[in-house]
Amino acid sequence: MTTYLRNPLTIVWALLTAVTVVSWLTARDGGAAHLVNVTVTVVVLAIAAVKAQLVIWHFMEVRRAPTWLRATTAGWVVVLFALLIGFYFQSL
Amino acid sequence: MTAVATTARRSIPGAPSMWFFVIGDLIIFGCYFVAYMYYRGQDHTLFLHSQARLNLDIGAINTIVLITSSLFVALGTAAARAGTVTDAVRLFGIGLGFGAAFPLLKLFEYVPEIVGGVTPGTNLFFMFYFVMTGMHLCHVLLGLVVISFVIRNLRTAPTPNISLAETGATYWHMVDLLWLVLFALLYLMR
Repeated sequence: MTTYLRNPLTIVWALLTAVTVVSWLTARDGGAAHLVNVTVTVVVLAIAAVKAQLVIWHFMEVRRAPTWLRATTAGWVVVLFALLIGFYFQSL
Repeated sequence: MTAVATTARRSIPGAPSMWFFVIGDLIIFGCYFVAYMYYRGQDHTLFLHSQARLNLDIGAINTIVLITSSLFVALGTAAARAGTVTDAVRLFGIGLGFGAAFPLLKLFEYVPEIVGGVTPGTNLFFMFYFVMTGMHLCHVLLGLVVISFVIRNLRTAPTPNISLAETGATYWHMVDLLWLVLFALLYLMR
């Protein structure tokens, strides 16, 4: 079982869990829940984008996939989060 | 892994047809995510007040549950590929266990919400919340069935179907991926 502990996938998991806890605490302690908070939003959306790419790259094994699949999935992450952040700032 | 090995093994994990389904799903959910953000921008106050009624702790625990389930499924896929079938069965089994915890925890969210009078008809936030998490939950349940088939194949087939394991795992990781975004949009952002 120690081989699984040292597996790169387990390290990715530890990273994903750690940043999930960071965004959990950011949202929980990030000031009044009823107020728009740009810092909290930018932090949690940035963390979500990084997590999405980590899952795609390591768990879905896209890092070993052909270029078109790497480009399509990375394009999804970039376009989605650009639109999310864009609509958010446009609405402020 | 060396660069040579990476290039040599560059191939689509699992059945290519599953990837069309995965990419299609990502685009469909992506449209919902962007629409949600657009409508949220029209009425920050409504969305923030409604969001404050969600159970952030269950949402966060469920995120970690899905990430952990994904890890075991990924390790199980690697074990199946390496030919250590007993390990693969055990790892997929643990992944299935964590995965099954997700709908159970979701019940602890939905039931108090609905009993408390919150439904999709309450307002636009809860319409998005119930529709998007409901559609995602259907994906979770289907994913659990798929993972069960993978385990059955690993246990009973004379030669385990590695492509099936990879395909099932890919679908399951997509379920995890969609939740990560949903969690940020519905529970975390302000």
